Amino acid sequence: MPDDDAVREALRQVDDAEAGMNIVDLGLVYGVEVAGDAVHVDLTMTTAACPMADMIVGQARDVIAAILPAGASVDVRLVWDPPWTPDKMTGVARAHFGW
Amino acid sequence: MPPLARLPLLILGFAALFAGAGAGLARLGWDVPGVAAIAPSLHGPLMICGFFGVVIALERAVAIGRLWAYAGPLLAGLGTVAAVTGATATAPWLFLAGSAVLLAATIDVFCRQRALFNFTLTLGALCWSAGNWLWAGGAVVHDVVPLWLAFLILTIAGERLELSRFLPPSPIATCAFAAILVVIVAGLLGGGSPWGTEVFAGGLVALSVWLGKQDIARRTVRNKGLTRFIAVCLLSGYLWLAVGGAVIVAAGGLAPGSRAYDAALHALALGFVFSMVFGHAPIIFPAVLRVAVPYHPTFYLPLALLHASLAVRLAGDATAQAAWTRAGGLLNAIALAAFIVSTAAAVIRGARRRVPADPA
Repeated sequence: MPDDDAVREALRQVDDAEAGMNIVDLGLVYGVEVAGDAVHVDLTMTTAACPMADMIVGQARDVIAAILPAGASVDVRLVWDPPWTPDKMTGVARAHFGW
Repeated sequence: MPPLARLPLLILGFAALFAGAGAGLARLGWDVPGVAAIAPSLHGPLMICGFFGVVIALERAVAIGRLWAYAGPLLAGLGTVAAVTGATATAPWLFLAGSAVLLAATIDVFCRQRALFNFTLTLGALCWSAGNWLWAGGAVVHDVVPLWLAFLILTIAGERLELSRFLPPSPIATCAFAAILVVIVAGLLGGGSPWGTEVFAGGLVALSVWLGKQDIARRTVRNKGLTRFIAVCLLSGYLWLAVGGAVIVAAGGLAPGSRAYDAALHALALGFVFSMVFGHAPIIFPAVLRVAVPYHPTFYLPLALLHASLAVRLAGDATAQAAWTRAGGLLNAIALAAFIVSTAAAVIRGARRRVPADPA
């Protein structure tokens, strides 16, 4: 099984096309847990008005499934608490947006 | 609701776009067949309530993921059906019902996160409901047009304010945005007075400056591919927002049937709002229908045609050359058709990529 870091690295393939940045650096990945043959990920969106939430959850599930051995399971949950704030962005994202 | 079940709602929206664009061409004196020619006076309601209303309400329903919210695009879509089948007295009430559901869905979003950007979205949805209420009550379309425009413009402004949180925080920019909202709302509330529409339009010009300065597009335009394309759509749209607002201010209001009316409305609804639609279609279509719309450089062609055709139309309006306005209008419709063809071609390309050819 891949470890937490490998899962996060896989999630960097999922971009928010509008922002031109991946969901990990945007701070949308709240938690990654690898337990036995199961991966649990908590994701958020910057706003509940974002219609792309389901699609991004699906993409996250796909990129994680691609690095898992057969028989392993992926559970990606959309969470809203705590609400996303800009301080969750990584240095890479901040530099991208001129902080 | 599964993505495939959303398709009929989107089809209702695009049916309004076809009928509405056809009605617009009929208004300009072009021969158009069938349903579009029946009701040229329904051009505005079909475009704003039938197309944008359905698409925005659908997008909001997908976002909040509640089944009842899909009643918004459904009712507004039925408004289109009523309008084009001659039930013109019923259509405003169906659009009103659809807009009320969108308002409820947007209040749901606001209650989850009480932020200025969600308040702006709520204000936008409220403007659509208010405009539809007045229209259903017997007001003429040109009297409710500022409210309908505010629906579209505030919806976009709220979304852009939300995304501007990626940029370094600026309390001054937030205060400026709130002040612009106050000006726009004051202008709408003073709609019956001689100054109302001009104040509203002044607010739109100020909003264009704010968006031009504070939108993440200023940065993302340096990216590549789809991200850059979206940013170009946004930034070019802001120019039309400024032009539309400035035309209303310069003309001293929105006199129905005037050349300034044609110029301002199309700068705002086509130049500004459709630029947003062109930019966001490659991410909203996949979100709503779960089809891939892979970026292709040809996406720029409909956008360029939209801007060029609008420039021709406004040049005709400015110089009283009706032939230019008429030709510009036809080219506007061709730009919309090119956008649909370009998007459909991208969907086909996306589907082919997903299903590789059988090696045998």
